[in-house]
Amino acid sequence: MLPAGPLRSATRRFACLWLLALSFAMAPLSAMADPKPANLLVIYSNGRLLPANVEADRGLREGLAEGVGRHANVFDEFLDAPRFEGAEFVETMSAFLRGKYAKHPPDVIVAAGPDALAFCLQTRSHLFAGIPIVYLVVSEGILSRLAPLPPDVTGIPIVYEFSRTIEQAMAWHPKARQLVVVTGTSPQDRAWEDQLRSEVPRFRGRIETEFLSGLPTPALLARLSRLGDDSLVLAAGYFRDGAGTDFTPREAVLGMSAVSGAPVYGVFNTLIGAGVVGGYMADFRAMGRQAARAVNQVLEGGQPSPDAPVRTVPATLNVDWNEARRWGISPRAIPDNAVVHFREPSLWESHRVAVLASLAVLVVQTGLIAGFMVERRRRKLAVQAERQQRAELLHASRVATVGELTGAIAHEINQPLGAILSNAEAAEMMLDSGTHQLDGLRQILADIRRDDLRAGEVIRRLKGLLDKHQVEHQRFDLDEAVADVEPILRVEARRRAVVLEFQHPGAAAPMLGDRVQIQQVLINLVLNALDAVADLPEARRWVGVSVFQDADQVGLAVQDRGHGLSPQALPVLFDSFYSTKTSGMGLGLSIVRTLVQAHGGQVTAENRVDGGARFRVEFPRSDPNVDGPHHGDA
Amino acid sequence: MAMPEPNPPPLMHVVDDDESLRAALVRLLEAAGFEARGYASAGDFLLHPVPDRPGCVLLDVRMPGPSGLDLQAALPAHKVKLPVIFMTGFADVPTSVRAMKAGAVDFLEKPVQRQTLVEAIGRALQRDEQQRRERNDIAGLRERFALLSPREQTVLEQVVAGKLNKQIAAALEVSERTIKTLRAQCMDKLGAATSAELGTLVERLRRGSAD
Repeated sequence: MLPAGPLRSATRRFACLWLLALSFAMAPLSAMADPKPANLLVIYSNGRLLPANVEADRGLREGLAEGVGRHANVFDEFLDAPRFEGAEFVETMSAFLRGKYAKHPPDVIVAAGPDALAFCLQTRSHLFAGIPIVYLVVSEGILSRLAPLPPDVTGIPIVYEFSRTIEQAMAWHPKARQLVVVTGTSPQDRAWEDQLRSEVPRFRGRIETEFLSGLPTPALLARLSRLGDDSLVLAAGYFRDGAGTDFTPREAVLGMSAVSGAPVYGVFNTLIGAGVVGGYMADFRAMGRQAARAVNQVLEGGQPSPDAPVRTVPATLNVDWNEARRWGISPRAIPDNAVVHFREPSLWESHRVAVLASLAVLVVQTGLIAGFMVERRRRKLAVQAERQQRAELLHASRVATVGELTGAIAHEINQPLGAILSNAEAAEMMLDSGTHQLDGLRQILADIRRDDLRAGEVIRRLKGLLDKHQVEHQRFDLDEAVADVEPILRVEARRRAVVLEFQHPGAAAPMLGDRVQIQQVLINLVLNALDAVADLPEARRWVGVSVFQDADQVGLAVQDRGHGLSPQALPVLFDSFYSTKTSGMGLGLSIVRTLVQAHGGQVTAENRVDGGARFRVEFPRSDPNVDGPHHGDA
Repeated sequence: MAMPEPNPPPLMHVVDDDESLRAALVRLLEAAGFEARGYASAGDFLLHPVPDRPGCVLLDVRMPGPSGLDLQAALPAHKVKLPVIFMTGFADVPTSVRAMKAGAVDFLEKPVQRQTLVEAIGRALQRDEQQRRERNDIAGLRERFALLSPREQTVLEQVVAGKLNKQIAAALEVSERTIKTLRAQCMDKLGAATSAELGTLVERLRRGSAD
């Protein structure tokens, strides 16, 4: 090596500046300016399908694509360790590669794994001499054994984070009393075992450690299946078991975690999905990308330097969400920076907008529904209250109407009472006289009984009119209902010195509804008519009530020979509070119309040709034997 | 003088449309020692001849057809001079005033107790007897009045009018003594002791004729 003098240093500086200027000028064109693609030979320690290799390959290609330099042709070779090894294999392989790549000399060699790096260094004198080497997935321990490395050999070391993983596993399983470490028999397996044996003693006193090293797989699985959840399993996986059977570490771990009674931890991210809970894991894809950056640097003209800082890819904590759930690890115990696999993104995470929109819709809808329900309830209460008030009003009006009949009612009760009194007194006198006229006394008793029943009947009818009753919907004979209140109306008419005539149809007039309400209609109309003739001379005071019925309808008419209805009164006759009487409230006819309409009928008023008014009420006929609504208990 | 038979009981007429009440009243009156007849209406009563016997009419106020008041008003036209007792379930003041003014003995509210009824009947019979007596007196008076000659009647009118003998003599162009004689004859025939009594008799006769 020439000593570095000022002159040389100046020349170098000049050259650097020139190159820098050139690169600035040419940089955008450089990719196209150099049409010759670079050859990149990747030599893997193990088989093609080792998951670590697949991941590293993917990372490598991603990293190469990031580079702005020459396009790289990637060639892959696999040493298939541990199945092939020994000096003879190295010889054969190097001869094969030399022949194979004679026409495609590599510009950079990537050694993926310790065996590949060892092979390259070993064969470098006669195979691909002087070609820069970038390695990856080689542990510091192996590197130190291979040291010193030539200056054009650089790369990405791997760190197996056994201790941190054990630490994390113990944190997640505080009840664990035993740590079971599984290793195999291949050189790589032995290397992991060596590292583990050097690191495990630091946990002494906190956890019992047992090594299951080099067991045949069936024996190992039998052991693992007997473990309880007070144990932890740390498995690097193995390439070869105690019986000499080859595996990929992932395959080995798949078998172990399938039967293990204790959670299994590992340190490669390729084990995720094979049943391990997790661990601080080396990321092969990231290492591949990192290696590709080193390759790009070499291809762009820079030399890999052993002085360059070691570009280790830091291991990250990986967790299999399903396994974590299975072993009862609280989601809160998983650090935020952990990479969580297989967690179904929550609805919130995957459809945030949709969820927000749905929630908004739901809230609005709920609000609306609640509003409507409140409104509905309020309306229902209002309807109930209105119905209640209407019933109260009808009842109050009926009480008032019956109140107008008080004189008639008193008369109707007084007559039989008077007869009973006189009969009783007559009987007394007959007994006092000593002449025992037994037949006469018997007759008197019979009469007393009859009059008593008669007074009772008046009270029964009165009670029917005055009672607050549930509105009925039953079939009844309109004529019979009219006849029922006829006596009282007759008495009232006599009291007012009015001739009251009833005409009955001579046949039943069946209709549906509430009998008492229809009686109320009749009483209201008759009292109105009696009022209408009140100021006429006695001889002209006449009111007629007729019940009629035909095939379709039944009804009643109340007419008088009063002054008739004025033209102004006719249109508003049935309105509330319209009254021509000084004492009336004006509710009578309004209530009549309300009751009639509630029975599906109609009421009309007109003036008679020979003076006076006629009110006509019609209802639909309802025969018991024809189709139609039946009353409740039918 | 046509006096009634010595011992027949007073006859009660019960007019009420309520059959059962009517029957009970009739029964009660019979038990109380009266003879009683029932009528369903005013018309029914008027259709039956009423014997001239002491008694009274028990009348319901309100009945289909003519009312009790109508019947009361119609009685004189039918020569029925019996006192009337009203019974009513509707005891309103105007009706009772009208009934009493028309000469009713009493206005009873139904139901009527025996005691009340018997007392009212007692008063009615008393009045009936009194009216009968009055009617008899007037009939006698009228008979005696008929005995007066036309000349005596003319003098009597003048005397009752309060004229002096001298004035009457001048008006009739006879002597004062003739007038004195005629006056004495009138007093004798009519059974009056004084001229003043003569005036009272004539007054009673006039009132009786107006009935």
